[in-house]
Amino acid sequence: MSQDPPTTSGSRIRQVEAISNGSVIDHIPTAVTLKVAAMLAGSGDQLFIGANLRSSRMGRKGVVKIAGREISAHAASCLALLAPGATVSIIHDYQVLRKLPVEVPAEFTDVARCANPNCVTNHERWSSRLAVVGREPLRVRCCYCERSFLGTDLALM
Amino acid sequence: MDFTGRDIISIADFQRSEILHILARAAEVEATGRGKLLAGTVMATLFFEPSTRTRLSFEAAMLHQDGRVIGFSDVASTSTRKGESLADTIRMVEQYADVIVIRHPRDGAARLAAEVSRVPVINGGDGANQHPTQTFLDLYTIAKLQPALATGERALDIAFAGDLRYGRTVHSLVHALCHFRVNLLLVAPRGLELPEQYLEEARQAGVAVRTVASLQEAAAQSDILYMTRLQEERFPDPLEFDHVKASYRMTAAMLAGARPSMRILHPLPRVNEIATDVDATPHAQYFAQAGNGIPVRQALLALVLGRQP
Ligand SMILES: [Zn+2]
Repeated sequence: MSQDPPTTSGSRIRQVEAISNGSVIDHIPTAVTLKVAAMLAGSGDQLFIGANLRSSRMGRKGVVKIAGREISAHAASCLALLAPGATVSIIHDYQVLRKLPVEVPAEFTDVARCANPNCVTNHERWSSRLAVVGREPLRVRCCYCERSFLGTDLALM
Repeated sequence: MDFTGRDIISIADFQRSEILHILARAAEVEATGRGKLLAGTVMATLFFEPSTRTRLSFEAAMLHQDGRVIGFSDVASTSTRKGESLADTIRMVEQYADVIVIRHPRDGAARLAAEVSRVPVINGGDGANQHPTQTFLDLYTIAKLQPALATGERALDIAFAGDLRYGRTVHSLVHALCHFRVNLLLVAPRGLELPEQYLEEARQAGVAVRTVASLQEAAAQSDILYMTRLQEERFPDPLEFDHVKASYRMTAAMLAGARPSMRILHPLPRVNEIATDVDATPHAQYFAQAGNGIPVRQALLALVLGRQP
């Protein structure tokens, strides 16, 4: 996508090409940047990805921009699992219209598969329910097989 | 305390006061003996993997209290092989029974069944995850042999020996014992030690845990010695298995230094880890432990079915 870089925006996230409208997900831990991008790519939206960018707060970080659309509710849930410390900004006409908090729910329902291959939820058509048991790093416990995992170790649904 | 309609899925679902209530009910049921506590009720046993001893214990528990039993223990003969979902099997069986006991090879299957079912579900073992009625009968046995467990008048020394890494029986019992005033002694072959998560649980509960060097030491320093099977498939080297097997074999001669009131438990079946000459000593309680499965399961069935004595 060719567009002129913005001159008015004071955003720190210009290390990745600016978008006129859409969502910017910032402060993604470097290690999960591509996983976040892969999760969002499924929507068919145009994405811009920055990885290993310098960040005063995090050292290195990732940024993903979605052109033309607000992040879906499902994508926001996935983001909470992979990168609970990320920030989401809604961009309108190159300006930050509003910032959305990444909300970590008490339980993730149908967001990711349980990583236990013998878990019943991987063999029956049934909801996946992962209860949050730790915040930093985010840890979840399967409500069925009772095993716990790091959020970043799970495969999204 | 009302347990009517409640599912028995995981020992982690029970608080200390609830565990004590269940143990007290089991003692009452045992004192009363055979009767009609479960008369007019039907239990369905859905055994998606075979476990003859668990099934027999549940069925005997029902029959001794005038309850009735239906069920299957052979997956090959059920519609699961034709692709029926677990949820659909439960939706059918709940039409026929007042309580469902399920044993299933998948971790978490009992929780799924309980979410579907309108009648109470009791977990008879779900994969490597939970087997709560075994844990309740273990606790009941310990409390019966060492009343200090329930009274808390002194800290009990409870030793675990054998495969502490893979044994769900050990994991669930350690979790449950963290509700009580106990010290834990552990003796396990290298590579088969208790996983860190249970050590951490014990630390958080203020339960002292120490490792002892041998089976004799465990026998000499404990009130309860809980032994488990060693399985050859856990050892990459058959020679190492032979070596470990020899050092984890309890014999009557090794009990010379044991406290007179020390009691040995084992979830059975035993293979070689307890010599038959131990059976005749007052320390051996593993067969009585299996027998305790009857009043414990009767108490649980009566509680979830809302039956009062
Ligand atoms: Zn699971």
